[in-house]
Amino acid sequence: MTARRLPAGLFAALVVAACAAPFAVLALLSVADGWTFSAPWLTAWRLGRWREALAGDLASSTALSVALSLAVALASTAGGLATGRAVARCRHRRAWLWMAYLPFASSPVVLSVGLVVWWIRAGWAGTLGGVALAQLVFGYAYGVVFFASFWTPRLLAYGDLVRTLGGSAVQALRLGAWPVARSAAALCLAQTFLLSWFQYGLTLVVGQGRVSTLPVRVFAYVGEADAGLAAVASLVLVGPPLAMLWLNRRLLRVGMGDGG
Amino acid sequence: MSFLSVTGLTRRFGAERVLDGATLAVDEGETLAVLGRSGSGKTTLLRIVAGLDTADPGGPGQAAGSVVLAGRALDGLPPEARGAVYLSQEPLLFPHLDVRGNVGFGLRVQGVPRAEADARVDAMLRELDLAPHAAKRADQLSGGQRQRVAFGRALAVRPRLLLLDEPFGALDAGTRTQMQGLFQRVARAHGITALFVTHDLKEALVVGDRFARIDAGRLVTYATRAAFAADAATGVADEVAFWTSLGEDAP
Repeated sequence: MTARRLPAGLFAALVVAACAAPFAVLALLSVADGWTFSAPWLTAWRLGRWREALAGDLASSTALSVALSLAVALASTAGGLATGRAVARCRHRRAWLWMAYLPFASSPVVLSVGLVVWWIRAGWAGTLGGVALAQLVFGYAYGVVFFASFWTPRLLAYGDLVRTLGGSAVQALRLGAWPVARSAAALCLAQTFLLSWFQYGLTLVVGQGRVSTLPVRVFAYVGEADAGLAAVASLVLVGPPLAMLWLNRRLLRVGMGDGG
Repeated sequence: MSFLSVTGLTRRFGAERVLDGATLAVDEGETLAVLGRSGSGKTTLLRIVAGLDTADPGGPGQAAGSVVLAGRALDGLPPEARGAVYLSQEPLLFPHLDVRGNVGFGLRVQGVPRAEADARVDAMLRELDLAPHAAKRADQLSGGQRQRVAFGRALAVRPRLLLLDEPFGALDAGTRTQMQGLFQRVARAHGITALFVTHDLKEALVVGDRFARIDAGRLVTYATRAAFAADAATGVADEVAFWTSLGEDAP
């Protein structure tokens, strides 16, 4: 007797349904005005909640989060690209890499409790700049780890090639290494964006509740037991990361071929 | 005076002396084939001549090494000011450019006017039989074609000196033989002066006009092909003996 296999199409549909189910529930909650236990379906609708939510604090929190995450991602990627190159060429590469891994040795909340003491002394606690700097500790370290293994001797050789063909040091980076590195840079940008975007504990501790990013807002709505607003905010929360993943996929597609 | 003169280059990495007083001379339009095993210091020699690495400074009672090309001392000059193009075993084609873009890359970097650059690229594509592949990207080419593109990219900028670091090392035997022939033909046609390092004895004999051997950082140059062949350390005699024992001609 042969074992029956689940058809591939059905299996894929089940996976997609399992992934989409929580978001479907959120979508329903975001337009529900009444969905009391044990009713199987919404008892009342409130389609205007999205408009109300986006006209209020949610819009400013979203804008703040987008700006913060983009800034952290750009700085982490640029810093990681440059530092990773220096680390890759360095004779004490392992020691530097070990240091770059340090921020990930403990939980972000524990580390942020340690950081906040210094941030308070520096006058950065409770400010947007302070939160950005604290997030950079993780983002930059991630960028360094990401690019240290990326700057292979082969990639460095591209820069050398440009120099001997008559290019300056800047041209070696811009015309030699960058076209090969940009797909990886896009990937790092997306990942550090996500790292910053979903940061909650660190933002709350270092921001001291005064920097109201979108994750902080979501948890506030949950704490206020406002399921509808929390659902709207949660759906907004997954929007930019999905856009970033889509963009990243496109960039990777048009990126590297085999340079031989 | 020789077109390229390298005198007393020494390079240490920590306690290890990778290059030990390397001295050589090459006349204009000649290819010096440098035979050496992996780790013998041949890549370091080329990188120092290219300006991608620096030789150790001289110490008490010891002069610093020097590189003179076409009567001009290159010491201290950045790679882009030396007129020496370095070709490695990997063709390192730019994945975002097609064959035409790759061949013309150096001209673009040097700011050569568009019309002149196009004409030079066209001529190079024809010369290297790459014209039918001009619109292809690196991943659509064979290993030999990629290396031809890299060769064309180097030649297009009309270098004073070509530094070849086992450029055909990754190719299969047949393609490698083809590329050696191509190199000979093009080098002669353009009067190229070249330092060609290889671990392959046959390749050294095919491409070289003059010969040298490097072992543990020490460079030995030979006045003639016969002197190179006569030195037991080059392995020519062993090779000949092997083929003779099979009753065949040496390759």
